[in-house]
Amino acid sequence: MYRYDDFDDAFVRTRVAQFRGQVERRIDGSLTEDEFKPLRLMNGLYLQLHAYMLRVAIPYGTLRAEQMRQLGMIAERWDEGYGHFTTRQNIQFNWPKLKDVPDILEALADVEMHAIQTSGNTIRNVTADHFAGAAADEIEDPRPAAELLRQWSTDHPEFQFLPRKFKIAITGSPNDRAVVKAHDIGLRMIRNEAGEPGFEVLVGGGLGRTPMIGKVIRDFLPKEDLLPYCEAIVATYNLLGRRDNKYKARIKITVHENGIDTFRDLVEQKFIETRAAFGGADQELLREIEAAFAPPAFRAVDTAPFEAAREADPVFRAWADTNLAEHKDAGHAIVTISLKKPGATPGDATAEQMRVMADLADKYSYGELRVSHEQNIILPHVAKDDLPALHDALKSVELATANLGLVSDIIACPGMDYCALATARSIPIAQEIAERFEELKLEHEIGELKLKISGCINACGHHHVGHIGILGLDRAGVENYQITLGGDATETAAIGERAGPGFPAEEIVGAIERLVLGYLDVREGPEETFLQAYRRLGPDPFKAALYPDTKDAA
Amino acid sequence: MPLDAPIGERVAALNGRYRHHGATAVLGHALKDPDVGRVALVSSFGAESVVLLHMVATLQRDLPVLFIDTEMLFPETLEYQRELSERLHLTNVQVIKATEAEIEKRDPFGLLHKANPDACCDLRKTVPLETALSQYGAWITGRKRYQGGKRVTLDFFEEEDAKRIKINPLAHWTPKDVQEYIAENRLPRHPLVAQGYPSIGCAPCTSRVADGEDPRAGRWRGRDKDECGIHFIGGKPVRGIPAPGEEPHEEMSDEGVEVLTTEYEAEGGEHAAEETSMNVIVTDTGFGPETYNDEPMDLGSDTNPAELPEGWEQAGMIRIAFPSFNDGRGFTLASGLRAKGYKGRLRAAGHVIADQYAMARRSGFDEVEISPELAERQPEAQWLARADWQAHNYQARLRGRRPAA
Repeated sequence: MYRYDDFDDAFVRTRVAQFRGQVERRIDGSLTEDEFKPLRLMNGLYLQLHAYMLRVAIPYGTLRAEQMRQLGMIAERWDEGYGHFTTRQNIQFNWPKLKDVPDILEALADVEMHAIQTSGNTIRNVTADHFAGAAADEIEDPRPAAELLRQWSTDHPEFQFLPRKFKIAITGSPNDRAVVKAHDIGLRMIRNEAGEPGFEVLVGGGLGRTPMIGKVIRDFLPKEDLLPYCEAIVATYNLLGRRDNKYKARIKITVHENGIDTFRDLVEQKFIETRAAFGGADQELLREIEAAFAPPAFRAVDTAPFEAAREADPVFRAWADTNLAEHKDAGHAIVTISLKKPGATPGDATAEQMRVMADLADKYSYGELRVSHEQNIILPHVAKDDLPALHDALKSVELATANLGLVSDIIACPGMDYCALATARSIPIAQEIAERFEELKLEHEIGELKLKISGCINACGHHHVGHIGILGLDRAGVENYQITLGGDATETAAIGERAGPGFPAEEIVGAIERLVLGYLDVREGPEETFLQAYRRLGPDPFKAALYPDTKDAA
Repeated sequence: MPLDAPIGERVAALNGRYRHHGATAVLGHALKDPDVGRVALVSSFGAESVVLLHMVATLQRDLPVLFIDTEMLFPETLEYQRELSERLHLTNVQVIKATEAEIEKRDPFGLLHKANPDACCDLRKTVPLETALSQYGAWITGRKRYQGGKRVTLDFFEEEDAKRIKINPLAHWTPKDVQEYIAENRLPRHPLVAQGYPSIGCAPCTSRVADGEDPRAGRWRGRDKDECGIHFIGGKPVRGIPAPGEEPHEEMSDEGVEVLTTEYEAEGGEHAAEETSMNVIVTDTGFGPETYNDEPMDLGSDTNPAELPEGWEQAGMIRIAFPSFNDGRGFTLASGLRAKGYKGRLRAAGHVIADQYAMARRSGFDEVEISPELAERQPEAQWLARADWQAHNYQARLRGRRPAA
């Protein structure tokens, strides 16, 4: 894994010192609140409904055990004993005091972490496939490129005051687990005809109030052109993006209003300039970073004990069948630890859980962890003969929920319980749905089903790309939940369609239950997932299940 | 008791009737009690206003809510007023302002608050409110006993100069009550509260309050003034309700005028006038005067880099406008000019802040031109702190340029 060199360390510590100074100058009045706000936001400090919130970046979702341990320490010492893993590979602390924030940043710097550019109209934390470096289907580990992008975007002098925030996601696998089509820039690694790895570059994707699927701006970009090409895109957007209307300022609108062809022409023109500015130093650095990301030396593993445990223990089997993914080394597996225990807040982890996961990473996963945009934690390299012991350890701290990809593995934004923008609650709805399906004991029969909940039109819960999406709105002071169907976050990305009128809070759980039971009635067999059935049959049978009373009238 | 009974009697009866009620009950009864008359809520949309606004929204959302826009408020307050009105679905918020003619006559330069804060409150707050309130029999205020000073003996109902009743439903609330109400009802807070402003009035006369200070210490700090004068006796605005034995000190404000006027003269004197004509040029060595004697070529922040004015390559200086510090187009324009080979002087001019100095230099600017007001607010040291812009520069490392030692 990449380790900070002296340059990175000095950079982060200087930023902490600058922020300390900015806090002081805000207090003495030399910075107005208007001027302080973007500076605080560039350091990840938000003002939320009840208090400040500090958002810490977990670049490309990769954590070392000691970093996870430090996050637990911060949660305990300066927060209320827990942290919230977000849908963009960040962790949020919801209760820091302003005076403590410079100290928290210092503690993060101690383990090579920061909160820089997790907010504000700038390039945000670069996210990546959470199975990066471990997945069997990967062309190359995308994290070296992501680290290069992190360094390039950090403190980029031109791009701290963009028209609006800017998000980049990268995947090294043709199977997109990083939702690259819903990002301002999406990078999907592919091979060209000569077999060389490079990127398909997408631009202008995004969710929010105007969901759009990213458009291809370059079919194939050689790896060495990554920084100058991204710089050309962001520079073009910086000049062309609208600044008159916050809701039309994202690059998806810029691309939509100007057309992808015009936008591409401008970018390619600018690319001539930006390409000349890079003299190869970035590529040298990339090679060093790549060396740092060399996989650990995987030990030889006898998989027989794993197979035996799987046969003998049905609880272990249920967990293994849902929460393991194929590793590039046949003796190892990728383990996802679900932070979605029914009844718990999706994405929350206590300080104690963070410490346990750090210890388990040290013991069973070569000291590495990952954070997924689906708000789960991953142990990327677990030898298969260790799996039964790991499962036992997880069970003892209630982290062995076997629901990955199932209906209760819900993505939910913080909602009105924490967020000033939210118009409805999302966490309690997620909890109620998960608990209901837990009672029905149908979850494993239902199979893969991505349910995503946003508490307002800004769509932090990615509801547009959920197989079932729930959007909480405020209708004349009453919470109302709209359902979208058929969304997809993968390489076959699609925006879900609205099913019909919304439901009040007390009816939404029943509606979801009718919908899912309706799916069980119409599917061809257990192999046909909800999304496949929806694509085969269209929305009608699903709408009929949702709105039984209006069926006769329709 | 008929409405034409003397106000003093009605107030005494109301206080007796509701002495043991809580805030919501008092408010609920006040809105219905025939002894009260026509009621409005006067709200500053300040630090604690959300409590009464929320109570009114749940009891009677079309109750007239009078919001006095002194045109000196924090932008955060205006934004908060809009958001809160929408969120609480208040349907009858009325914005009260001084007339343009009055402002033109008494405070044409918007500086009256420096010379005579009482007169400014009078012009922008007290008179417009008095005019608006003339249609009402009673008004609701958020004043509380714990706010101290002249408020420690506050009752639920007060007589205001034989004209109206003042209703103070929160008279007996403690700061803890207020905070709990806001938290329990998940109400959005005024964004400045978390910035250290527990009491929020007009921007020029509100300052931050330190830990341990009285929450209202930030209002008219350094002035002999602790109420805005929305409170009347004998038809004239006075500073608050006089405590027993205390007479309104009308002559005191006259003294105040004199002293403060002198101070204002000093500030606006010849020296200051000289300064306002000269912008400050910031370079790596700090502040300096103008050193360029030609006309620079001026580019707006909306310049299309493909359509630069003729002769830009030869221009001795190109000056790029920053209409606002959060308009970052100038940085990309500058970097683009350098990439196209421009070798002359490149200047960023306008609203650039000290924290952006390193960004400007790294984007290819040689210098920054700022107004004397900005230079005063962000003195030289804050700019010099970023004169180290060549250190810790990721771009230099990625582009293979060596940072200067």
